[in-house]
Amino acid sequence: MLISLGMLQNELFNNVIRDVNAGYWELYTDPDKEVWSQKFYEGIGYAREELESTIDYFLEHLIHKEDVEIFRDNFLNYRKNNVDFKQHIKIATKQGDYKLFRCATNDQLPVNIKSEINLIFFFEIKLEPDQDITKDNFYYKETAQMTSTGSWYVDFDKRKSYWDFETRRILEYPDDYIPSLKDSADYYAEDSRQKAADLFFNCAMVGTPFNTEIKMVTANGRIFWVRAIGKPVYNENKEIIGIRGVFQDIDDIKRKELRLQRSMDIITSQNSRLFNFAHIVSHNLRSHTSNLSLLVQLIEDIDNPEEKIELVNEVKQISYSLNTTIEHLNEIVAIHTNKDQEKKVIKFQDALNLVMSGIGQMIALSKTTIEADFDDLEEINYIPAYLESILLNLITNSIKYRHEDRDPIIHIKTYSKENNEYLEVKDNGRGIDMKLFKDKVFGMYKTFHYNKDAVGIGLFLTKNQVESLNGTISVESEVDNGTTFIIEF
Amino acid sequence: MSNKIALACIIDDDDMYVSLVKKIIEAKNLCQNLMVFQNGKAALNYFEVILSNLDQKSIPEIIFLDLNMPVMDGWEFLDNFTRIKNKLGKAITLYVVSSSINPIDIERAKSINSVKDYLIKPVTIDDLETIFSGERT
Repeated sequence: MLISLGMLQNELFNNVIRDVNAGYWELYTDPDKEVWSQKFYEGIGYAREELESTIDYFLEHLIHKEDVEIFRDNFLNYRKNNVDFKQHIKIATKQGDYKLFRCATNDQLPVNIKSEINLIFFFEIKLEPDQDITKDNFYYKETAQMTSTGSWYVDFDKRKSYWDFETRRILEYPDDYIPSLKDSADYYAEDSRQKAADLFFNCAMVGTPFNTEIKMVTANGRIFWVRAIGKPVYNENKEIIGIRGVFQDIDDIKRKELRLQRSMDIITSQNSRLFNFAHIVSHNLRSHTSNLSLLVQLIEDIDNPEEKIELVNEVKQISYSLNTTIEHLNEIVAIHTNKDQEKKVIKFQDALNLVMSGIGQMIALSKTTIEADFDDLEEINYIPAYLESILLNLITNSIKYRHEDRDPIIHIKTYSKENNEYLEVKDNGRGIDMKLFKDKVFGMYKTFHYNKDAVGIGLFLTKNQVESLNGTISVESEVDNGTTFIIEF
Repeated sequence: MSNKIALACIIDDDDMYVSLVKKIIEAKNLCQNLMVFQNGKAALNYFEVILSNLDQKSIPEIIFLDLNMPVMDGWEFLDNFTRIKNKLGKAITLYVVSSSINPIDIERAKSINSVKDYLIKPVTIDDLETIFSGERT
């Protein structure tokens, strides 16, 4: 019976060791002698009078040969120098076989027994048939270390947590660290605390086991990924009295997995952009060539020479459109070949000034107010031409689709949040019906308004530029209220 | 041509294409009147107005519908048109005319009941003549 005996005083000592289901030796001095307890005799099946209770007799007749040397050293060291010890030993029984004992001095015991005389306890280790405890211990420890898997137990009765050596190691706590149940949320990364709380609560209340990947924090504040597995522990009345489980350090694997996932996302998005691009090329070029073909048919079919010449003039128009389309397609191709261009640290204000001077007339004519706030994030390491192009496209977009009842106001803001850098462009324009156009906002030649100058290329280019540098662009909008574009660089 | 088509309708945002088809129709005298809408939304608005006063003469007998258009594309128009077309009380033959050669688009269009056929641009003068003479099945 292992209970906390921190408050134990000397007079309680006898009661306590009587309850301890183990034999022990009391070590007396002047003269040196050992008194073997009743349970010690019972443990090896002898009666008191059958044995001579001296250390020499013990070493000669009872202890297994393999253990003699170490035990003798330990014993004498303890006798003479008060050096505590613990070890496994095998002791011969009256039946002629050996029993395995965990042998420990009172300072080595997991409970705090205060005693004025020295004691050596002998705890019998009951083995399953054919099981060798030393081997088993060895494997358990090796396995735990090799797989970075720590075990733990939460005891609801005692309101305590217990960690094994490996749990302490992976969480970077010292060997003598006592885990806290009260502050157990602190062992998890901030964004994982709710998840941890839910898992433990469900396991404790309804017995749902868990097996999950979660972020924890080490004593040194390092955030890392673990696989946390836990299951309820029941008593005889089928009540849940604790949770037992393991933490496995899977940081390396998880980080690789996340990196892989990220590259897969990039590849998927690049692939879909390529596919989209192939489609665009096919569609946009086809519309001109089919017009050309229609025109040729018409020219051949018409007899009147004057009409023929008139139709030949149409070729000019088609050729002009074809050129424009090809220029647009070139711009897109250029984004992907230019993305390795040198990035530079650019001040947002400088880029904005450049853009605004370029479209000064458009801004003035439309009476547009631009309010910029770059206080939180003043500069960024980016391809200058892209940043200018992004700002240009978003600003002209806001001006083009301004609300007819009010002058355009554009708020531009930069900020950083959780290590990411953001640019937000918000207008008070007529907005986009997101229900209808959610998937089409950034498509090529998609326009949503009856505007003469709507070309449907700007946002498509912007998206391509942002994504070619692994960023994302999203849009929020409400008809009549305005549109907000958010770029995560 | 005895029973010449009285009214045809083109829904397409490509001005060049529209003007060329218009010229062919005029040159070949394929129908009496032709109306043109720049996108699905404009066309749908028109049909919704007709629905309230059911002027048979204003209902086209043939529609040529493009797929890729701004504001409201061909698919969305088809969704809405299928819902109201039976209330118009007149048989309307609808052709999808698109430069998309994507088999998914072609299958999808052909599976819609109100679509008579899918024509890939460029259409030919022969195609148009056949369609307007009602010989195409």
